[in-house]
Amino acid sequence: MLDLINITKKFGTFIAVDNINLSIKAGDFFGFLGQNGAGKTTTIKMITGLYAPTSGNILINNIDIYKDPIKAKSFIGYIPDQPFLYEKLTGREFLYFSGGLYSIDKITLKKKIEKTIEELQIGDWVDKRTEEYSQGMKQRITIASALLHNPKLLVVDEPMVGLDPQSAFVVKNVLKDLANNGVAIFMSTHSLNVAEEICTRIGIIKDGRMIFEDKKEVVETIKGSDHQNLESLFLHLTK
Amino acid sequence: MKDIFHILFYKIIIFLKVNSPFNFKSLFKSASSGLVYLIFAYGVYLLTQNTIEYLLVTVKIGSFLLHRFILIVLFIFFVTINVGNIVVSFSTLYKSKEVFYLITKPLSFTKLFLIKFLDNFFYSSTTLLLIITSVLIGYAVYFNLNWTFYPIALFLLILPFMFTAASLGVIILLIILKLSSKFGTRKVLLLISILYFFGVIAFYFISSPIDLIQRVFDYYPNINQYFGFLENSMIKFLPNYWIADALYWISEDKFSRAVPFIYANVITSLTIFSIALSLAKKWYYQTWLTSLNISDDLRIKSRFNNKLFRFDKNSSLNSFDESIIKREFWLFFREPNQWVHLTVMIVLITIFISSISGINVIILNSYNEYLKTIMYLVVTLFNVFLIASLSLRFVFPLISLEGDTLWKLRSAPINFNHLLLKRFAIYFLIIFFIGQIICVFSNNHFPIQLSIIAQLNTAIISISLITMNFGMGGIFANYKEKNAIRLASSQGASITFLFTLFYLILLIVILFIPVFNFFQLQSRGIKTPILNLFATTIILFVLSLLISSFSLRAGLKAFQKDV
Repeated sequence: MLDLINITKKFGTFIAVDNINLSIKAGDFFGFLGQNGAGKTTTIKMITGLYAPTSGNILINNIDIYKDPIKAKSFIGYIPDQPFLYEKLTGREFLYFSGGLYSIDKITLKKKIEKTIEELQIGDWVDKRTEEYSQGMKQRITIASALLHNPKLLVVDEPMVGLDPQSAFVVKNVLKDLANNGVAIFMSTHSLNVAEEICTRIGIIKDGRMIFEDKKEVVETIKGSDHQNLESLFLHLTK
Repeated sequence: MKDIFHILFYKIIIFLKVNSPFNFKSLFKSASSGLVYLIFAYGVYLLTQNTIEYLLVTVKIGSFLLHRFILIVLFIFFVTINVGNIVVSFSTLYKSKEVFYLITKPLSFTKLFLIKFLDNFFYSSTTLLLIITSVLIGYAVYFNLNWTFYPIALFLLILPFMFTAASLGVIILLIILKLSSKFGTRKVLLLISILYFFGVIAFYFISSPIDLIQRVFDYYPNINQYFGFLENSMIKFLPNYWIADALYWISEDKFSRAVPFIYANVITSLTIFSIALSLAKKWYYQTWLTSLNISDDLRIKSRFNNKLFRFDKNSSLNSFDESIIKREFWLFFREPNQWVHLTVMIVLITIFISSISGINVIILNSYNEYLKTIMYLVVTLFNVFLIASLSLRFVFPLISLEGDTLWKLRSAPINFNHLLLKRFAIYFLIIFFIGQIICVFSNNHFPIQLSIIAQLNTAIISISLITMNFGMGGIFANYKEKNAIRLASSQGASITFLFTLFYLILLIVILFIPVFNFFQLQSRGIKTPILNLFATTIILFVLSLLISSFSLRAGLKAFQKDV
């Protein structure tokens, strides 16, 4: 579903992402870890078309995002760490607006919005203007808007920021269900416990390079031998 | 097209929601704003009628020269929209959060460009359209034109004209960014600024208004005829000429002669817009990526390494003043929107100063005191207008721009008034100084008494305008908006601009009779006592004192409200 082939991104002489190769299949839940400034957000911005790689290719469902961006983006659901919402619109209006951008049939969209509101438990405040929302509410509306068009690839940047424990629980379950239903998820996070709990694959980036990438079972094996938990492994690798 | 209509539909919903929910405070604010707009529109209508009557009946310049005066005004109008669009489009098309959001959606870049271009055009043109509509009504009523004039003038003359200027603005912006990736931003900006500067100067040489006035007045008193044969033929290729000539023929009740100009205007507008769209199709995404690299290059390499303002370098200032001054310096020069806009405005001011260097000729050869008075007042108005523009652009957003740091400031053991006054003082001193420089150069051809009075008046007016923008910026503070350009074109800024125009009208009223008397006595060889002129300074001083004290209080008080 997502193929990063020899991706490099330079800003002037600074190399933000250095020759990354990665393949994520349908149903994979990939946790992307790294220190601040390691290159996580730059990678995500390249996947979603916000940055162009200096070299390499990014394929979404076998479509190069820079050759056919409209088609490639129609498969992606993107949840940024700093979501943009139109403040004067209510959450529900924003969902209708987002659905329209993906040309979803109106009847289908209405049903999907109702279903998503129920799943994410946002019905109590979805009809208030988003300018009144807390950070967590904004985050949940953004998540809801990313799911309306049934994306095949979900790109998530720090999904748990600002969420209260109940909301975090709901979001984690929604993401797990999506992965179980065949959606490929690429999630960047600093919450190692979240990654440990819900991801099926883990990748660690340091100074723009992918220094570790494997299945969760392998992570478990490594943890069992030398480290007590993912945090200990992460700190060891990124030392 | 479906995508475009979908987004525009929601944008209209957002626009209509701005003033709700309906509570007494927001209702009162909206009603007051509406009233200010209405009074202003009526004022512009009356001013237009009276100005035309004054020029045609009292000064007797004739309909042809009146429309050549309109031609010059339209040129300034064109340059204002054009430069405004180059600068504002950079933040709307390349830096806005909405673009970052929409670019991740399955939308073509051309559609995205079109949506943001229209958004920008209508957002930044609302106040201008209000002014133009009032001017058109005043013009039509004076010349007793029938109702068909209004849709023709608005939809076939003015809107396409504005659209041409805006489209040309984004074309220049696309070219700047396209070339920046190859040659570097600074070099390209410098090159484009120089070309623009010479373009504007070339217009003055081609149109040569001074020569034209002299040549037309050679026919005095038979000046109510068409003198197009006296003009440089190059000027006939410019849109402002088409509008001015179309208006001339419509006012002469010869509509058929206006048709070719209307046609040329509309076709040019569509052509320039199509060029902008096709360039956007090719370059928008590419230049969008370039714009990111420009910011990232600046951020990573930290090219602008001024040692004097480095935070780790100690100075004789106390730590509070030092941190404020250094923060202001770095935030200003690391934000391209700020320093680029200031550079553009300074280039325009330089053009203004150099273009009025020939005013001496007019003063010496003008035919009556009315004309001399007009010259003096126009120069004063331009000076004040430039100071007002700088204040609106750089002082009005000052309080709102504290939005991101409110958490730090409110929790720090500091006196907010001291903080704001110190920030204000930095911008005040710079704009005040620029105002004085403009005044020295633009008034040095007038008699010494008038130059001295102009210098004093400009100082007083600068104080009141800068503080007014500061205070209004506090009253209409929007702590969520980070973009200074958008703040400077917000509803609050528009109202401030309208107040400024009221102030300009008041200025004319105060200055007109003393200056006219001065020129009249001077032409009779009578020595003019400066006291009469000095009376205007005293009136302005009192007015300024009232405006400044109210504005400063309002600004400081507004900052301490809960947000």
